Amino acid sequence: MDARHIICFGNELHGDDGFGIRIYTQLCRLTWPKDVEVFNAGIAGLNALRLLEDCSQAILVDALANFGNVGGICVLRPEDLAGRQQKLTGHGLGIPYLLEAVKVIRQPLPDILIVGVEIAAVKPFSIGLSDKTEQAVPKTIRLIRNLLSE
Amino acid sequence: MSRRIIQIDLNRVEGDLDFQLEMEDGKVVDARCIGSLYRGFEQILVGRMPKDSLVITPRICGICGTAHLNSAVLALEQIGRIPVPPNAIRIRNLCLMAETLQSDLRQSFLFFTADFCHPKYINRLFYDKALAAFLPFKGWVHRGALEYSRHAVEIIALFGGQWPHSSYMLPGGVTTAASSRHIIDSFSILNKLTRWFEQTVIGTDLDSWLALQSADEFFAWLTAKDAHADSAIGLFTRMSRDIGLHRLGFGTPHMLSYGAYDDPEEAGTFPLHRKHLFKAGFLDGDTGNIEPFEQNEITEHVRYSWFQPYKGGRHPFQGQTIPDYQPHSDRYTWSKAPRYQNKVVQTGPLADALIDGVPLIRSLYEAEGGNAWLRQFSRLCRTAKLLHTMRETLHELAAHPDDPHMISPVEKEIPDGEGFGLVTAARGALGHWVQITDGVISRYQVVTPTAWNASPKDSEGRHGHWESSLIGLTVDDPDDPVEIGHIIRSHDPCLVCTVHLLDTGKRITVWP
Repeated sequence: MDARHIICFGNELHGDDGFGIRIYTQLCRLTWPKDVEVFNAGIAGLNALRLLEDCSQAILVDALANFGNVGGICVLRPEDLAGRQQKLTGHGLGIPYLLEAVKVIRQPLPDILIVGVEIAAVKPFSIGLSDKTEQAVPKTIRLIRNLLSE
Repeated sequence: MSRRIIQIDLNRVEGDLDFQLEMEDGKVVDARCIGSLYRGFEQILVGRMPKDSLVITPRICGICGTAHLNSAVLALEQIGRIPVPPNAIRIRNLCLMAETLQSDLRQSFLFFTADFCHPKYINRLFYDKALAAFLPFKGWVHRGALEYSRHAVEIIALFGGQWPHSSYMLPGGVTTAASSRHIIDSFSILNKLTRWFEQTVIGTDLDSWLALQSADEFFAWLTAKDAHADSAIGLFTRMSRDIGLHRLGFGTPHMLSYGAYDDPEEAGTFPLHRKHLFKAGFLDGDTGNIEPFEQNEITEHVRYSWFQPYKGGRHPFQGQTIPDYQPHSDRYTWSKAPRYQNKVVQTGPLADALIDGVPLIRSLYEAEGGNAWLRQFSRLCRTAKLLHTMRETLHELAAHPDDPHMISPVEKEIPDGEGFGLVTAARGALGHWVQITDGVISRYQVVTPTAWNASPKDSEGRHGHWESSLIGLTVDDPDDPVEIGHIIRSHDPCLVCTVHLLDTGKRITVWP
C-alpha cells in the first residue's frame, strides 16, 4: 500500500510562522495508521520534494497570508495556489514553487491538499503563536484527522 | 546630473542581505552590501564542549552544511593531533563534492540562466531558444536541472543519514564505512547525473569536454556542431556574450583559494600540512603571480560593521564578535570585512580554477579577465571536473573495501589548544578557527565565502568584491536593472535578492 504523508512547514522562531510546526508537534502525539507518516519540513523549500515521493496522498500544512480572516482554516488544492507565487508566508522558495517543481519531476502526482491557517503576523525571533492562530490548532488537528480517515 | 539611490534587498527568512546602490547619470557610483541579519553562531559556541561544533555549525547554512561540518572536524583534529584513515578522507571528499555539485547545478540553471528569459531580451535572436531551454518549469534545461540536481545529495544521505545539517564526520573519521551497497548506490546516482550532464549541459562526453585546453579550442568546439552550440553551456555562453557579460562585473583582481579536498594519500599527516587534490594559493591580481597560501595572512575588519570597534584588522585567533548595532552611523552591516595580506580578495570557482591551474579557465582569463560570464562558466566547468573526481573517489573506495573509516582517538576529549579547518565550499573559501581553554570552546570564528565576497568596506575604506564589481556599471533602465541581477547572480549569493528602487518603489527579485 502506498503511504500517506503529512508534511508540516514553518519556522517556530518567527511567531505565527511556526503554525505548521505547532501542528507537527501535536500530530506526533497521536496514534496513526501504519501508512501515515508525519514530517517536519521546517524551511526546507525545494529539499522537501523528497517528502512528496513514494506516497499516494500528501497533506501540506503551513501558515497562510491573504486567504481570509486571521485564525480561519483553509483547505486548498494546488490549483488554488496557481498564480499566487510567494503569497504563502514563504519558507525559502515556498510551497507554490515546490508544487510547480513536483509537477515537473514526478508523474503521477500524489493527491495533494494544503491545510493552512490565516496568521496574524510573522514576528522575527519571537517564539509562540498569537491567540487567534493558537485557537485554530485543535480544529486543524481534527480536520487533518478527518481528511485521513476517509 | 541626476543622482538616485537603488536599494537591493536579498531577503529570506533564514538570512537577509540588502544592496544599496547610488547612481549618477545611469552609472553606479557607490555600492553598499548590507548583511541585515545578525546570526550569533560564534557566541552560541563559546563555553560549549568542543565537539558540539559538529552539531551546531552544520546548521549555519541549509546549502553547505557538509562544508561547515568538514571545517569544524578538521579544526578539532588539528588541535588534538588526531589522525584519520584514507577512506574517511575519501568519504568526506565524496560528500563535499556532491553538495557542491548540487549547489552549482541549481545556481546555474534554476537561477542564473532564467534571467535570459527577461522581456528585455525579447528582440534578441536568442530569445526563443532562451525560453525553450531556461524558462522556469517549462524549459528543458530548467526541468532537467530540477530533476537531476536533487539526486546528488542522496549520496550524502547514504553516508551521513540525512542532508542538510548532517553530523557524520567525527574526529578520527566518519560514522559509516563505504559498504558495497553504498558504493553501488552512489555509482548509480553518479551515472544518472553524468549521463544527463553529458546530454544536456555539455552536448558531448565528459572526457572530450575535459580535454579542452584553451580559449581557442573552446570557441572552435562551440561552433563545431549544433549539439555543442545548443547544449546548455553553449546557449549560456552565447547568450551571455551576446549581452556583454564577458565585459562586466570584474570586481577585485585578487583571488584566494584554500585548496579543495584533502589528499587521501596524506591521511597520516595532520590537517595543517595535508595536501589537496586541487591546489591552494593566492593569485595577486597586480603581478599575476600565484603565491603559496598562508592562513596567518587573514584578518577581519569591523570599521563599517555593527560590532564593537577595534583598530585595523585582526586574525581570527584574535577575532572578536561583539554585536554593537549602530543604525545611525556610517556602519552598515552585520558582516565583517575579511582581507588577505591586507588586500580585498574574491573567492569561488573562478579563483579555485585559476589557482589550481585549470588550462581552459586560465586561457579565458588571460584573454578577457575575470568577468561575470567566466565566473559562472567556471562554476559549470567545475561540475564536469567533480563528476570525474567523484568517480575516481568511488573507485578508490571500492578498491579498499576493508580499510577502516575511523581511527578512534586515544584521548576521549579534545585537549586545550587552538586549530583551524579550511575547506572549499560551493561558494569558495570557508574557515573555522577554534580555541579551547579548560575543556570548553573559548573562541570560535567562522569566515564564510560570502563574508569574503560580500564584505563591506574595511578600515582603509576599500570596498568588498561584490560592491566593487558593481561600481562603474552602466544600467540601461534604472527602473529594471537586469544587468545588476546578472552580476549579483554570477557571484552566487546564497540568499534571495530583491532590487529595490527607492524613488520609483519598483522591485525586481533575484533568487540565489
